[in-house]
Amino acid sequence: MRKFVVAAALAAGVAVLATAAFGSTNSSSRTTSAASPATATVKCGKTRTIGMAAPYTGPAADIGNQQVRWAKYYVKRWNAQKANKNKQIKIVPGDTQLGVDTAFAVRVAKSFASNSKLLGVVGPAGSQEVVASTSAYKGGGLGFVSGSASRTSLTDGHTDGNRRGYFYRVVPNDAAQGPVVANWMTKKLKWKRVYIIDDQEAYSQGLATGVGKILSSRGVKVTHDSISQSDSDFSSKIAKIPSNTQGIYIPWQLAPQAQAFGQQLKAAGKSKIKLFGSDGLFAPGVWKIAGSYDSAFPYNPNDAGVKKYVSTHKGNGEFFGLPSYVAAQVVVGAVTKACANGTATRAEVRKLIAKTKLKTSILGFPVSFASTGEMHAPATYGVYQIQSNGSFKRIG
Amino acid sequence: MNQGLRQRLGNLGGLALALAVWTVYAVYFSPAQGWTFFFQLSVNGIILGSVYALIALGYSMVYGILKLLNFAHGDVYMIGSFIGFGVLTLLGGPLNPAIPVALLVFCMFVVAMLGSGLLGLAIERFAYRPLRDAPRIAPLISALGVAFFLENSALLLFGSQFRSYDGFELISYNGIHLGGDNGVFIQYLGVIVIVGAVLLMLALLGLVRWTRLGKAMRAVSFDREAAGMMGIDPDRVIAATFFIGSALAGAAGVMFGLLFSQIYHLMGFLAGLKGFTAAVVGGIGSIPGAMLGGLLVGLIESWARGYLNGNVSDLVVFGVLIGVMLVRPSGLLGTPALQKV
Repeated sequence: MRKFVVAAALAAGVAVLATAAFGSTNSSSRTTSAASPATATVKCGKTRTIGMAAPYTGPAADIGNQQVRWAKYYVKRWNAQKANKNKQIKIVPGDTQLGVDTAFAVRVAKSFASNSKLLGVVGPAGSQEVVASTSAYKGGGLGFVSGSASRTSLTDGHTDGNRRGYFYRVVPNDAAQGPVVANWMTKKLKWKRVYIIDDQEAYSQGLATGVGKILSSRGVKVTHDSISQSDSDFSSKIAKIPSNTQGIYIPWQLAPQAQAFGQQLKAAGKSKIKLFGSDGLFAPGVWKIAGSYDSAFPYNPNDAGVKKYVSTHKGNGEFFGLPSYVAAQVVVGAVTKACANGTATRAEVRKLIAKTKLKTSILGFPVSFASTGEMHAPATYGVYQIQSNGSFKRIG
Repeated sequence: MNQGLRQRLGNLGGLALALAVWTVYAVYFSPAQGWTFFFQLSVNGIILGSVYALIALGYSMVYGILKLLNFAHGDVYMIGSFIGFGVLTLLGGPLNPAIPVALLVFCMFVVAMLGSGLLGLAIERFAYRPLRDAPRIAPLISALGVAFFLENSALLLFGSQFRSYDGFELISYNGIHLGGDNGVFIQYLGVIVIVGAVLLMLALLGLVRWTRLGKAMRAVSFDREAAGMMGIDPDRVIAATFFIGSALAGAAGVMFGLLFSQIYHLMGFLAGLKGFTAAVVGGIGSIPGAMLGGLLVGLIESWARGYLNGNVSDLVVFGVLIGVMLVRPSGLLGTPALQKV
């Protein structure tokens, strides 16, 4: 009898708790939906807010801060115009710590989504961050424009999830980068034996596989290996690389890691083997193994804005960050148009991002978007070589 | 010959046999790479293992004396590497050292070891000593808390950017060729690391065997209460143990920075786990066991990275840990716990 009473009391307690929880969930969801930043109408006022998701700190801080500086450079120029006196833009920073854990990017996305003043986002930087944080951005109704996430499948609508209508990028994807790299290796450098090492991240593996396939189809002997982003000791991997290898392709994201790899390669007596990096390693001054190659985004070196940036940064163009200038331009343009009547919603901003039409850009070509979020006919990647002073010189 | 010694000798014999079989297989039945490759990987493994051995010693010493798994030890190693980097930067950096390189490297080691040792003392005093008589889970949780505290403090103090020692630029890219130009190559930096680690380990062995402090450490390790009754101050001995173990971790941090260039605030986690694995494989509580375990973990990691595609070295290393625990729960040179019946 006592057992029965205890069981009944427990069952009643559970039922009460479940009912309370259900009720509270319903009421909170009603509250949330009523005041959700995703659908809320924002009074624009004189200052409009956008987010900047980038690795401000962490192993990729160098390239992240390049993006931040270029995006801020655009906003500064925008805010300085008299016509925009009542349309000022404020950037809210979000540190995604690329290379540490994608959870940071998700936290940034969630904080942006819950910030009711925020209307659009520049970033994030890494493709894996885009994959991880999409649901948070979608949940918050935010459009986000990346200046570096180049993984091809991000926009195919199924492989890594569907983010159409929310995600846009102002860089060509890896499907464009891979052939440029493979062509340079086979046609310019005439390499016949190439070692490919990915860093086990989605971005890196996609590029490594793509380039490897093209090289193999052209009769190049390709060996594929992996490291992880937490590795520091490459001595055993380097011991494995045959001395007659002509080039090592390292489509990584962490420039300090590439620098350590290059130093250990030299210390192992294999400095004759050339390194070939990808846009993730476009970090002059950090990756500085002279003679190495790197593929990176296109830009227009003759643009007045580019020239001014270069001159104010003592000749260091920090070009990895340059597309983030365009990403900021896209987001600010959409926010400003959405705010034309004094109020805006995130949905309006997203629609206006999709309709972006920049006749010219500092990338050197017009920018507009397909429904996938890709740019219409973007220019292809450039090839750079690291000079003895650590600078990157465009050679193709 | 007592049973424990017989068992340890048996373990060493088994290990030697396993290594011999593996060596023969790798040299003669792996024609794609050949003997040079095997010995190059082995040299790389010994260099890496020397670093792990120094970390493992700290784990083993603290466990031996307190039966505490000091999970903050990996982060003491991280702080040591940052202290070394600070000294390097203060004295001009790797490209423009303000003093002779040998003196600079010596200063880096001394300051890092002192700094890490003092940090170890502070950790013992504030995080473990108050819990000396608490249930064993309490200091374990405290150790985890200290580990996170140190990681986040380093994040606040140094940021999360990678810092580069540029050890090869500082010392030399050159080295010694064994077996001709196509033979095995050991960088001078690698030689410095191996010699440095061996000297430190011998110094520790000497300290434990032939000094009053060493005798006191062994006594406290054997029976803390009885040692106290014999006039030994267990708190001082435990503090000294923490200081020495942490100083060795600091030296390992500098060695790692010089060898592999990159240091960052989370570097202690995995290195700490590897050091712990080395201590357990060697027989936690045993100083020679920690050295043997460190070298073994370094070798296995190096061989796994060299012979297996992809990045499965950690899988292999921790697989070996599980294997050793199943076959020899007290490790290769550990003493089986006596059960009183």
